[in-house]
Amino acid sequence: MLNVRHVTRLFGQKAAVDNVSFDVDRSMMIGIIGRSGAGKSTFLRMLNRLTDATSGEILFEGRDVLSLRGKDKRAWQSDCAMVFQQFNLVPRMDVVSNVLHGTLNRHSALRTALNLFPRDDIERAMDILDRLGVGEQAPKRAEALSGGQQQRVAIARALMQDPRVILADEPIASLDPMNAQIVMDTLRRIHDEDGRMVIANLHTLDTARRYCDRVIGMRDGRIVFDGTPEQLTTGVARDIYGADEGFSEAATSTAIDTISDAPIPA
Amino acid sequence: MSDTALGHHTGGGTTRDAYFEMVRRKRLYGGLTILVFVVLLVSGFVLADGRNAGGFWNGLSQLGDFPATVVAEAWESRADMPAHLVTYFPALIDTINIAAASTLIGVLIGGLLSMLSTRGLAPVPWLIPICRRIMDIMRALPEIVLALAFIFILGGGPVPAMIAIAFHTCGALGKLFSEVNENADLKPVEGLASVGASWPQRMWLAVVPQVAPNYLSYALLRFEINIRASAILGFVGAGGIGYELKNTISWGQGKFDEAAAIFILLFLAIVIVDNLSDLARNRLTHGGKK
Amino acid sequence: MTDAVMQSEIHVLFRRKRIMALALPFMVLAYLAYVVWTFDVVGLMQRAEPGRAQTLLADSYSYKTHITRSNRTGDWDAAIEGERKGKYDEGVFPAWAVLNDTGMTIALNHGHEVTVSPEGEMRYDVPGFGLITALPTRRGIETNLTPETAPDWVNMSNTRLSITTRGGRVNVTKSKTEVFRYFTGWELFFFTLDSPYHGHSVTEILFGDQIDPTRGNVAGALHDFWMNPMWHHHQVAWAMFETILMAFLGTMGAGLIALPLAFFAARGFNPLRSTRFALRRVFDFLRGVDGLIWTILLSRAFGPGPLTGSLAIMLTDTGTFGKLFSEALENTDKKQIEGIQSTGANRLQRYRFGVLPQLMPVLLSQILYYLESNTRSATIIGAITGGGIGLLLTQAMITHKDWEEVTYYIILVVLMVMMMDWLSGWLRRKLIKGG
Ligand SMILES: Nc1ncnc2c1ncn2[C@@H]1O[C@H](COP(=O)(O)OP(=O)(O)OP(=O)(O)O)[C@@H](O)[C@H]1O
Ligand SMILES: [Mg+2]
Repeated sequence: MLNVRHVTRLFGQKAAVDNVSFDVDRSMMIGIIGRSGAGKSTFLRMLNRLTDATSGEILFEGRDVLSLRGKDKRAWQSDCAMVFQQFNLVPRMDVVSNVLHGTLNRHSALRTALNLFPRDDIERAMDILDRLGVGEQAPKRAEALSGGQQQRVAIARALMQDPRVILADEPIASLDPMNAQIVMDTLRRIHDEDGRMVIANLHTLDTARRYCDRVIGMRDGRIVFDGTPEQLTTGVARDIYGADEGFSEAATSTAIDTISDAPIPA
Repeated sequence: MSDTALGHHTGGGTTRDAYFEMVRRKRLYGGLTILVFVVLLVSGFVLADGRNAGGFWNGLSQLGDFPATVVAEAWESRADMPAHLVTYFPALIDTINIAAASTLIGVLIGGLLSMLSTRGLAPVPWLIPICRRIMDIMRALPEIVLALAFIFILGGGPVPAMIAIAFHTCGALGKLFSEVNENADLKPVEGLASVGASWPQRMWLAVVPQVAPNYLSYALLRFEINIRASAILGFVGAGGIGYELKNTISWGQGKFDEAAAIFILLFLAIVIVDNLSDLARNRLTHGGKK
Repeated sequence: MTDAVMQSEIHVLFRRKRIMALALPFMVLAYLAYVVWTFDVVGLMQRAEPGRAQTLLADSYSYKTHITRSNRTGDWDAAIEGERKGKYDEGVFPAWAVLNDTGMTIALNHGHEVTVSPEGEMRYDVPGFGLITALPTRRGIETNLTPETAPDWVNMSNTRLSITTRGGRVNVTKSKTEVFRYFTGWELFFFTLDSPYHGHSVTEILFGDQIDPTRGNVAGALHDFWMNPMWHHHQVAWAMFETILMAFLGTMGAGLIALPLAFFAARGFNPLRSTRFALRRVFDFLRGVDGLIWTILLSRAFGPGPLTGSLAIMLTDTGTFGKLFSEALENTDKKQIEGIQSTGANRLQRYRFGVLPQLMPVLLSQILYYLESNTRSATIIGAITGGGIGLLLTQAMITHKDWEEVTYYIILVVLMVMMMDWLSGWLRRKLIKGG
């Protein structure tokens, strides 16, 4: 379904992503881990075509998405939603409008400029917000929401695109543990219920283990680990992160139950 | 305490000398700068005085003569004043329309140019330096040049002034707008790029909401400036109240009462627009919400 | 139920947004339509003379040389732009115009050729059309064309025939026959024909033999260039200088006057409310009267010239600076002033060390910004009072003739303003960082 072949991205002399290849044969939830600067974001951004690759190809169902230009490129972007660490919403606009931005690729610039979103789309945006538990926030401005709520709005925008793939670049890095869990649960549920492929950059091992079907470890732009969560032992993790004996997972964890096993208040 | 001071004295003699040296040099440079400045100013004044048709001191004593004549004449026929004000009001509207239309055109084109010339927003990077140079040239071209050229081609009237002022405004606002754009948050733009939005959609939905208050504030300031510019261009033949002023103010026409009415209209228009725009701009920059 | 409420709330919100989104462009379009109507743009377009635009554009980068035959005496002469100052010596013609026993043969652009016989018969074999002949006689122009066969690039009447082609232009009237050939560039920009240096290259002037026995090459060439009677380089340079002088004197004078006044107009520096208020109104008045009216008033008293322009700029900007500076003063940080005051400093010292350092960046950047913008204003004011490059520009434009000179001035003005822009930016960075 997704074939990544020798993808490289150079910034000057430095390879941010260095000859990365892997294949995915069915829709699944994939976690990419690695320390800061490993090239995770760069890779996801290339997949969404926010950043151009230097060489290599990425085939989605046999079509090379890296060679798309103009309209085709934007059509692919609308098939391949992205969720950012900083949410990247339009802060001064209301939540529903932000969600409706997911349909921009389908409408002409003039139509969107005049705010002529079809009524069906508005209804659907509100359904999605309800599904993600932020329906009450619909008329507020995006900037008035908490981080966790904003991230769910961002996911709602992604769902509004009705995408085949959802890319999430450290979706929980600026959230507190409570909200982090809600957001990760949401992503997992989207995968389970809608069958969309989810690829998420993650900073915490336990999150990757807990939510993903497959984990890819990156270091200095290369893939150094590719396997199931069970294979991701502390020793392997040390390798990925280039850490020494002092490395402990609990220290990086953000999940609430690794810190205390108290039940999460519903 | 005296100990530490002593220690400093023996240890830091050279730094202290260096400091005094620096102070001395700074004073010297400061003094020289002021001297050069004063010399330039005085000699410039003397030069300008010499090249002027009438001398400064001569003229100073006659400064009041012309206004006195105008006021006297206006006072004599003060009964006609309301009628004159009504007569020339349409010309004032013309002047204001010239300013408003050219500001509007300047905002539209300047806004577009500014987005094409801001890093991070421009759709293609090679457009950035080109658009910047275009704006520099538009900004540097004084309105009068274009106005006179268009008067030659189109004949007199307000349109040449409008084109000329709009042209300059595009460049001036474009530059200010691109400074505003530099401070715009690019995250929403990227967010919209990731859903496959086209360039106009990204600009309209992610950039414009952020920059609109600042754009508006600069546009109002420009509107004030453009009213003055459109009055002055009228004086060289481009319609509006400036044109009427030129016709009424020449000697021997016996129309100084009408000139006085035009003075009053223009003065009031400028003061009112200045104050309104001041108020609105304060709202925009400080008031924020509510 | 809350869901339903929310739903309708959202739909109301979107209806409002949609109306807003439609209203704004609609208002803009409506206003522009009103302007088009009230300025009668349509009528204007019909009355416009695009031919003039063409002349203007073509003239700005090209010039023509006239070869003229007086049909009374049969004498020939040649002159650049037909001007006296561009006239060739008696009997001297450019290389492309040859006069001999068989008459005059003039080579035009694109291989066109016009011949005029000693009797005055003009023959022009226009490629792709055919031969046109014209003989001026006492009764009129005898030509092989008839009004019916004449193409639209020929303008003919009984007494006049004019042909305009890619190659150039021919005018035949009873009194004279003129042939124009166009060249790209500005004619005689460096030297006029009466200067001995005309036609010599830079290397010849710098390193070649002495051209004019009475003068050294470089000094002579510089003098002839500077005093070029067609382009008046020395006058233009003076005019530019005058314009900058107006801007400089006006801006700096305004700054110097406004600074002390601003202290009296600022809250926290002058406890007297009434004087503060009065000064503010004075500033408003100076600004409100505006440069145009100041220029008119002052030019009655001082006559035309740079001084008048300087004073007009100064008066307007005293108002502007007074307002800006007093606002800046009110925004100064009071703690620094108290710090100075706590050392027992008197009022003047307090201002010098507590206030001025804070005020300086605002003050300088405003003054420098206005210096640049006033250079442009000075061009316009010069056009009204009669001084500087503005005067030359309007004069050249009003004569409707020498558009290449107008282009020259425009380029100079644009360069001047860009230079002032750059200079003001450079000084701003330098002074504000360094100070
Ligand atoms: N626009 C850019 N210009 C130059 N270098 C870049 C750019 N973007 C990324 N890099 C470099 O590429 C490398 C990989 O960056 P990337 O952002 O992909 O890492 P990451 O794995 O996402 O790190 P983090 O966990 O901190 O987000 C880094 O060394 C970074 O400095
Ligand atoms: Mg990253």
